[in-house]
Amino acid sequence: MRPIPLEPIDSTGLQQKFDDWIGFVERSHHGSNPRINSGEAFTELKKPLAESRVALVTTAGAHLDSQEPFHVETVAGDPTHRVLPDDLDPSRLRFTHTHYDTSPAEQDPNCVFPIDRLHELVELGRIGEASPVHIGMMGFNPDPGPIQDDLAPRVAGILADAEVDVAIMVPG
Amino acid sequence: MCHRSVGLVQGVIEASGIPTVTISMRPDVTYGVRVPRAAYARFPHGNPFGEPHHPEQHHLVFEALLQLLEKATEPTFVELPFRWRRWNQWL
Repeated sequence: MRPIPLEPIDSTGLQQKFDDWIGFVERSHHGSNPRINSGEAFTELKKPLAESRVALVTTAGAHLDSQEPFHVETVAGDPTHRVLPDDLDPSRLRFTHTHYDTSPAEQDPNCVFPIDRLHELVELGRIGEASPVHIGMMGFNPDPGPIQDDLAPRVAGILADAEVDVAIMVPG
Repeated sequence: MCHRSVGLVQGVIEASGIPTVTISMRPDVTYGVRVPRAAYARFPHGNPFGEPHHPEQHHLVFEALLQLLEKATEPTFVELPFRWRRWNQWL
């Protein structure tokens, strides 16, 4: 495919909007705090995408019908993950999340978890291979502490064990 | 909050040595959380790759993420040229 124009985003006002949003979240949810990333992490691609192993990582509440649904009724959120095998049956994917409209994903999981597209890209030779495992999480977590301290290192460890070269991150 | 959660996980994965890229429908949150590579899509929540049963649209978004991975040499946040329901006008 020919190059897609990728222009830098106009960041005017984004920091203020973020600060306002964080303020709202802190006021309305017990245990929230304003943690963010250092912003310094940057890892270069180690090999061409056509030779890379790619994983999907989503906070859209994706899990299999055989797995425990995410806990969406608690104010504390649910900082857990579900391992989604690459050979899963997409018709058995479920999306448990109460903070976005999951009906498009229920009609076609590829809207938020593009597993069929990933496999097609492998067929086309655009990427090397799909990771044997992908990760489903549920993004409603007022307290970012457990995300940064526990959930994220666990997920990073799973991806490292699966020898993943690239992770595609997808919010709901 | 989904965007903050995914952004925090992204930061840790990237720091662990695995390159990452995210799609975003909330540029303020993705910007504020600070992630290594992000692409803003002016799409509704729940549709980061587009509409149901629209593989051509999904592939365009996926390809944009792959090209961003190939192009970025430092933390980069771009806006995708696609618009909801007029997603192929730039083609």
